[in-house]
Amino acid sequence: MTSLTLRNIKKSFGATQVIKGVDLEIADGEFVVFVGPSGCGKSTLLRMIAGLEDITEGEIYIGERKVNDVQAAQRGVAMVFQSYALYPHLTVRDNMAFGLKVRKVPASERERRVREAAASLKLEALLDRYPRELSGGQRQRVAIGRAIVGNPQVFLFDEPLSNLDAELRVHMRSEIAALHQRLENTMIYVTHDQIEAMTLADRIVVLREGVIEQVGTPRELYESPANLFVAQFIGSPRMNVLPARAVAGRLAARGLNIGAAEGVGMRPEHISLTAPESGLLRGRVALSEYTGAATLLHVELEEGETALVIANGPAVPANGQEVGLEIAREHLHVFDKAGRAIRPLVQAA
Amino acid sequence: MADALTEKGSARSWRAPRLTLRQREAIEAWLFVSPTVAGFLLFFLGPLAAVVYFSLTEWNLLTQQATFVGVKNYVDALSHNPDFWHVLRNSFVFAMGLVPLNMALALSLALALSRPFRGVIFFRTVFFAPVVTSAVAWAIVWRFLLQGEGGAVNQMLALVGIDGPNWLREPDWAMVAVIVTRVIKMVGLNMILYIAALQAIPRDYEAAARLEGASNWQIFRMVIWPLLAPTTLVIFVITMIGSFKVFDHIYLMTGGGPENGTLVLAFYIYEQGFKFFNVGYASALAMIMFVIVLVLTVVQMTLRRRDMQ
Ligand SMILES: Nc1ncnc2c1ncn2[C@@H]1O[C@H](COP(=O)(O)OP(=O)(O)OP(=O)(O)O)[C@@H](O)[C@H]1O
Ligand SMILES: [Mg+2]
Repeated sequence: MTSLTLRNIKKSFGATQVIKGVDLEIADGEFVVFVGPSGCGKSTLLRMIAGLEDITEGEIYIGERKVNDVQAAQRGVAMVFQSYALYPHLTVRDNMAFGLKVRKVPASERERRVREAAASLKLEALLDRYPRELSGGQRQRVAIGRAIVGNPQVFLFDEPLSNLDAELRVHMRSEIAALHQRLENTMIYVTHDQIEAMTLADRIVVLREGVIEQVGTPRELYESPANLFVAQFIGSPRMNVLPARAVAGRLAARGLNIGAAEGVGMRPEHISLTAPESGLLRGRVALSEYTGAATLLHVELEEGETALVIANGPAVPANGQEVGLEIAREHLHVFDKAGRAIRPLVQAA
Repeated sequence: MADALTEKGSARSWRAPRLTLRQREAIEAWLFVSPTVAGFLLFFLGPLAAVVYFSLTEWNLLTQQATFVGVKNYVDALSHNPDFWHVLRNSFVFAMGLVPLNMALALSLALALSRPFRGVIFFRTVFFAPVVTSAVAWAIVWRFLLQGEGGAVNQMLALVGIDGPNWLREPDWAMVAVIVTRVIKMVGLNMILYIAALQAIPRDYEAAARLEGASNWQIFRMVIWPLLAPTTLVIFVITMIGSFKVFDHIYLMTGGGPENGTLVLAFYIYEQGFKFFNVGYASALAMIMFVIVLVLTVVQMTLRRRDMQ
């Protein structure tokens, strides 16, 4: 059982710094998800924890032990790669047993542990197959099995589901969640699918250009994002952010003073439709996208901005129709000039 | 649907023949490959058939008289002519020396030069350059370097206290010398093939193995080497065939000497055919060489395939 500490971690490739000082505490048994746009350094950070990249600056502790100079194999971590990294010339059994074999674990013990892991992942019937004879989901499971067999203290996953189709992704997501509940290991999981992040994580770490933007539970990130970037990164469709001048007057008229704020954010799912003259905002439906469960409306506001609104229920306004938009005050997000969230969100006038 | 299309086509002056898509594709395909097929028939199968025929005759180039003698040439080579077995032995020694040395060196170089580092292009170029160097220039330079008295190689050996032999004047050393100089000349080609194969192996394979505690040697033995097997087979076959066919290098370095110590099959065939004008006998020798190479290739491929299962 193992905690993890990153202290002022930096990483440079040649002259380019890609990780610019990351501090993070991960508790024993916690499921932490790194999210962020492509190229922000998620994989690099994960590989530094694994010991596959050396650490330019800073310290990494796994448990009490500083691991900067500890070889990858001695860190007690296992990693599931996006590519799965299954060896095409070895059977599922030999792939899973690879780590035990190089560590000279006796054959009978190897077989026992492989069988155990295979049983827990419903892989027994596949043990004699080669990777090319497996479906994408099965390969994924073998890759996880291979990680389990070594009995690591920490699991690292680098976008393990991104090669799967949508349905399988949802299924494997739940299997990984179940795996975590069963093993209770510390897990770090990289993804840029925010639904994966929200559903799996105890805590999410939002990264951007090698810097942590915010760390928090999924609910914290969703309900009180620390800044504009996080606000727009978490949640789908992304949060509407309107210039403060467009709404300040009307908010003031309702007794809400947003002070020096630059932007006001509203999530599409928190906006409701009302009569044009009674809403906080007023606009015209420019486009509506029916998705089955809901309809996504693109509303052109009087101020010239476009707001996304999720409309539930059967009565959806037609294109071109005038609508009013309403939002509860607790759902307003207010950001200052630098994009930082201002809290408490709205002061009474 | 198909009818509609044909109707439309017939409105034009040129009328497409009523062929199915399959037939049309077949015709196109044959048109595309016909130059190669023609070349193959004319310059490969034709001469091959001619050699088979010549090998069954006694044919003197000077008198242009060809007499059919059946398998006499083969019998001569295999049972009456002690030269043949000596030459065959030389060819095998040459191949057994050259192939493993070439492949081991090529793989070592490829392992060292498959990953980018400062100057990697320079080193690859250095090792590949001899491949494209003229065989004549190569041989002249090496004959110079390998001189017994004052040759650069022996001078270097003298520095570490070794009294080098007169390389190209002693039969056994001459064989060593032609093998080594040939390896140095040709190793770059196999190195490039190995580099390409190594670069096609995903980097994650190594990372995953390292994470699980594999040493460099284990990674090589258990991951890299098995994945290189198809490349190794190809390299083995082409290198072995090349070594049996070696001619220019022997001609230029030693002329088959000293004391026929480097007289290999291809060179012997040349001598019999074009120096002594025993065209029939030379053709029979060529057929024997063809069969040897074919057998070795098939054996290797079969072993390999069994290995894969
Ligand atoms: N070996 C390397 N040499 C040079 N630059 C690298 C190397 N590996 C990564 N980088 C750079 O570091 C940055 C972060 O890369 P990284 O792979 O960690 O991103 P990521 O967040 O995992 O992105 P993605 O979501 O696309 O996988 C990128 O700009 C990348 O180009
Ligand atoms: Mg990545």
